Amino acid sequence: MTGSTGVLGALAAHLLGAGGLVLPHLNYSTILPELILLGGMLVILAASALSPRPLPTEVYATATVGLGIASLIASLVLWRDVTSHGAFTAIARSIDVDGFAVFFLVVVSCILIVAPMFAAGYLRREGITGCEYYVLALISGSGAMFMASANDLILIFLGLEILSIPLYVLAGLDHRREASGEAAMKYFVLGAFSSAIFVYGIALTYGATGSTNLAEIGAFLSRNVITSNGVLLGGLALLLVGFAFKVAAVPFHMWTPDVYQGAPTPATGFMAAMAKAGGFAALLRVFVSTFPTLRTSWQPVVWVLAILTLVLGAVVAIVQNDVKRMLAYSSINHAGFVLLGLEAATARGIAGSLYYVFVYSLLVLGSFAVVAAVGGNGDADHDISRYRGLGRRRPVLAVGFAILLLAQAGAPFTTGFFSKFYVVEAAVAAHSYALAVIAMGSAGVAAFFYLRVVFVMFSDVGIAGASDVSRGGGEIARAGAVAAEVREQDATLLGGAGASAVATLVAPAYVAAPELAPEGTPSEPEVSVSPWVTTGLVLCVGATLVFGIWPQPLVDFAHQATLIF
Amino acid sequence: MGSLDSYLPIFILFVLALAFAGLSIVASKLLAPQRPTSAKEAPYECGIVPAEAPPQRFPVRFYLVAMIFVIFDIEIIFLFPWAVVYNQLGRFGLVEIIVFAASVFFSFLYLVANGALDWGPVKRVRPVASEQSRTTTSTVRRVGHGTGEAA
Amino acid sequence: MIHAAFLIPLLPLAGFAVLAPFGRRLGNPLSGWIATVLVAASFVVTVLVFIALFRQAPAHREFTQSWFTWFAADRLNVGAGLLVDPLSMTMATFVTGVSALIHLYSIGYMKHDPQFAKFFTYLNLFVFSMLMLVLADNFVLSFFGWEGVGVCSYFLIAFWFDRADAASAGKKAMIFNRIGDAGFLLGLFLIFERTGSLQYTTVFSRLGHVGTPSLVAIALLLFLGAVGKSAQIPLFPWLADAMAGPTPVSALIHAATMVTAGVYMMCRISPVLHLAPDAGHVIAWFGVATAFIGATSACAQTDIKKVLAYSTVSQLGYMFLAAGSGAYVAAVFLMLTHAFYKALLFLGAGSVIHAMEEDQDIKNMGGLTKLMPITAVTFLLGWFSIAGVPPFSGFWSKGDVLQNAWAVSPALWAIGAVTALLTAYYMGREYFLVFLGERRWSEARPTETDPSSPGYTSRGLHPHDPTWHMSVPLVVLAALAVLGGLLNLPFRPNLDFLERWLDPVVGPYLLQTHFSAGQQWLFAVADAALAIAGVGLAASLWRRTTDRPALEPRFLYMAWFIDWAEDRFVARTGTALAYFSATVIESKVIDGAVNGVASLVRGTGGALRRLQTGYVRSYALGLVAGVVALVAYVLVRVGS
Repeated sequence: MTGSTGVLGALAAHLLGAGGLVLPHLNYSTILPELILLGGMLVILAASALSPRPLPTEVYATATVGLGIASLIASLVLWRDVTSHGAFTAIARSIDVDGFAVFFLVVVSCILIVAPMFAAGYLRREGITGCEYYVLALISGSGAMFMASANDLILIFLGLEILSIPLYVLAGLDHRREASGEAAMKYFVLGAFSSAIFVYGIALTYGATGSTNLAEIGAFLSRNVITSNGVLLGGLALLLVGFAFKVAAVPFHMWTPDVYQGAPTPATGFMAAMAKAGGFAALLRVFVSTFPTLRTSWQPVVWVLAILTLVLGAVVAIVQNDVKRMLAYSSINHAGFVLLGLEAATARGIAGSLYYVFVYSLLVLGSFAVVAAVGGNGDADHDISRYRGLGRRRPVLAVGFAILLLAQAGAPFTTGFFSKFYVVEAAVAAHSYALAVIAMGSAGVAAFFYLRVVFVMFSDVGIAGASDVSRGGGEIARAGAVAAEVREQDATLLGGAGASAVATLVAPAYVAAPELAPEGTPSEPEVSVSPWVTTGLVLCVGATLVFGIWPQPLVDFAHQATLIF
Repeated sequence: MGSLDSYLPIFILFVLALAFAGLSIVASKLLAPQRPTSAKEAPYECGIVPAEAPPQRFPVRFYLVAMIFVIFDIEIIFLFPWAVVYNQLGRFGLVEIIVFAASVFFSFLYLVANGALDWGPVKRVRPVASEQSRTTTSTVRRVGHGTGEAA
Repeated sequence: MIHAAFLIPLLPLAGFAVLAPFGRRLGNPLSGWIATVLVAASFVVTVLVFIALFRQAPAHREFTQSWFTWFAADRLNVGAGLLVDPLSMTMATFVTGVSALIHLYSIGYMKHDPQFAKFFTYLNLFVFSMLMLVLADNFVLSFFGWEGVGVCSYFLIAFWFDRADAASAGKKAMIFNRIGDAGFLLGLFLIFERTGSLQYTTVFSRLGHVGTPSLVAIALLLFLGAVGKSAQIPLFPWLADAMAGPTPVSALIHAATMVTAGVYMMCRISPVLHLAPDAGHVIAWFGVATAFIGATSACAQTDIKKVLAYSTVSQLGYMFLAAGSGAYVAAVFLMLTHAFYKALLFLGAGSVIHAMEEDQDIKNMGGLTKLMPITAVTFLLGWFSIAGVPPFSGFWSKGDVLQNAWAVSPALWAIGAVTALLTAYYMGREYFLVFLGERRWSEARPTETDPSSPGYTSRGLHPHDPTWHMSVPLVVLAALAVLGGLLNLPFRPNLDFLERWLDPVVGPYLLQTHFSAGQQWLFAVADAALAIAGVGLAASLWRRTTDRPALEPRFLYMAWFIDWAEDRFVARTGTALAYFSATVIESKVIDGAVNGVASLVRGTGGALRRLQTGYVRSYALGLVAGVVALVAYVLVRVGS
């Protein structure tokens, strides 16, 4: 033992002797949101350990919401600093404090404010006591924040792991349910696999550029014209794989449906929102701000990824009868839309992507919250037939869900419309016409399966079968494609932007078309909604409508975030 | 890459470790008497000849304790270099290690509170609701071959 | 005072704005009075503006009042504003005046209707639209009014929408008008394309740069719009059906104002027609043909309002004859006098219909003179006016039209003259059948016991003159019908008021005629002779007899089978084509393609679904495959 200590000591002495130990100046205020989350997490953990009897889940939820609000305030303070003093780096240049980072800090904070509300009701219903969900959510959130503000590939990797590992556990939170454990296992194995690939990508990038610091890599690339360095491009490719896995881009999406379906539903919503926020934050930063010189190399890859993601997400979602699984595929489709902004690689595109991620986070959280409520005890049955007549049994809940789904479909007067509009507009402005057309086509297809749920909710008759219904989907796809094609021809933005709007307006006619088979007296599942879930839904739906009718503040926010890049 | 020579000590450490391991094996091969018996060939279990095949399923508690041990192991490994350069790190180092130790400690607290170190009869932290659907056959199916959930 | 012009359309709009939400609560008759007073106020303002304009020197009688930019895109800039000039003020004056009278009449006529307030709401909206049409300073705003009156016409024809004939008549009017409107819109597009503007004054100042073929096309496209709106052949059948609406509506919209919008438009574009004489000839021939067909059809009708409807078609044909000949003043003159006497005749018919308890068949009437003296006398005056008996107003206005027609082509005059004779005749026939002769209703009623028969009433008939709401307009309109000729007596240079008044607008584009005084007297005598001959013919044929099948051939009763032919060959063919599209093209061809796409999507979905095995190992394989593909891409890229 003494021997090894001696060697270590010599090693340390060697390191210190060589350059002296340079202590980084730690400006804790720059990572205050992360610190709030982690510190609060520890407090919750200690409280749960030390309290003589188990605390009710609502206590933890309240604490988590409070922490989310605190970190939101801290983020907004940072936003003020950034807008008044400009962007800066901190903590040995490994943390970027710029508009882009703060935007994601805000997004993550918002997710953390809303997600616990949805979890509280669910956890109580399912009898899952303890602070685990909240603690894991907080850790995961801090990981996403680190990913967003990291200026170093190593820190991005750390953030990625801090983000992911809690998600693996969250997926398996309900260990009494077989599917939950299976989801956790799948997610973990594949996630670890992709992390390894990601680290390998970092290694190759380091080998090619001599640094893991994004700023230094950028500087190196601007000094040296490297266009076809196999090592660098290989590293870039592997980094892309790592990110693509996180954000569930095709063909690295295969875990998504199984994990989303198996995980406890509030965990699914959280996972869908948080993993995409963190993943896209780092993906956009690394590719757009660090590797712009290699754009000609990565753009085609992103182009292919985007198309595959858009098409597969929409097409496979059509044949799903399980709403939870359908939403999983729809989230893949959404990832494709965000990739549109990346492919454009313009300020407009990035702003569009940011806006999309923000909007999507709230939509997906709210949607899965409704799924959790309708799923009922056991969280196992999410067949679309459970939604039949929901509009009559729980009109307010059904209308809220309908709004969220319509927003996801891109209906006007919701945030969803603008989010799709901005990314497609950016794609058109960047002359990616084919991509824009495919995106609108996929939006048309997607409109179908969202509206199918809406239709089922507000009709008291059963649907004759998925095959009949999906026949209409083709028509919608066609309508969307036609509308999008019109757009390409004249390239006038507003006219074509209505494509998804058109699709959503046209679609109900087709959705209503399939033969309706009145069923006997189906057993109608009880749906209970706790006040917590109601509050969260009001927030999500409210934001969707308010910013759908008055989009300017959010748009400005996203736009400014890219200005201070 | 000129900075590579700063990794020389690590390389030396690797070589030393390999050399030690290799030397040990080679030395024992060379020096030890080689008279095998069936008792000697059997898997080591506290020196007592096993009466039956070892059980397939270990109590999960073993793993929990092992993992907790690993966590503290890692904490100690961090502490070694920290202690070496403690004087240079100064107050910064103290704060950082306290943060680190506190994180680990709080987690440990959580584990203990949840009964991770409890031996003996299982104390249920969480009441297990008896599932209506759970029957003998379902349990058998569950324990038997898992049915992969395909799309 | 001219600046108060904005109030002219605004007052009826205010009426609409009040009545639309609160009309039902204001009730009967308050809502009617509000509507009437506002339109009357609008009339007063119009008169004041008219006087103010009159005080200006003739060359300065043109004002534009711009309100705001309605919409703008690139070169296109459409404003909302008024053009106050002699033509628009003439139109506005008679529109508001006649409207006010008919509003007043409607208070009595609609007294028992449960949808009383709604009627006046529509009526006010109509007046607003009509005023926008005539007062607008650009084509687009006029088109707004054009469509507005069309919509109101639809609402009001189908006012009793629970009656199948009213509902389908409304639809028919809408569809026929759409055909015309398409032409109108194309005309606007062409105007904008050729002149870069849609402002009347700007467009007319730029006509010099537009080639004649374009001008002909513009004129004919706008004329197509007018054909629909003003019920010319071949788009006239809707007007006969439109009689299913309440009678005040027939008087206001389908006789006095809306249907003359096409004539107004022709006068408005007189600079275009002046440069495109070929288009003018087409319009004149269409007009005279319509006049003749309308008049002959009116001879065989048995419905009191249908006679008047075909008469209106015929008279509108006269107006187009005048406009096409380049006699815009004559067109406006006839429009004014026609508005007076035709409104009068319709209102008279309305009070007869009231008295007969909704029976409109003239064969069931007769002998009403003594019972309804006011109605009978005013109707007689209206008949003489439309017949062109001197010195009633029709004599002067129709004479003016025919004289100008001769200058273009004697053939036009000849057809017009025959039509004039027929006009006097068919109106006489109606007068004799309705007001003179035996009372064919009095003995019919008590024995009539079948409640489903058309003339059945439970309590018998007691015809009498209507309440004062209805008689006052009759008297006022009768006075106007008699004296309307004073507006433009053919005695230059002192008594041709209208001609001098309109001179700044249409003066330069007028047809120049050179008739000697003797020739003019000859025309006048001929007109008078034709009118009196027509009156005499009617008297000799219909004074004693009510049934002359030889004079009421089915061919004329069916209006030359034009409606029938259009229904048979256009509407049925179109329906068949639509049915073919729906059943064959849509369901086989398009659905086939769509189903192909859909099954492709579904098949793809199903196939992709199979990739989702649920096994982690295959997922990992997919991940690796992706990585391999990416690395291969990188290698290819580096290699190249």
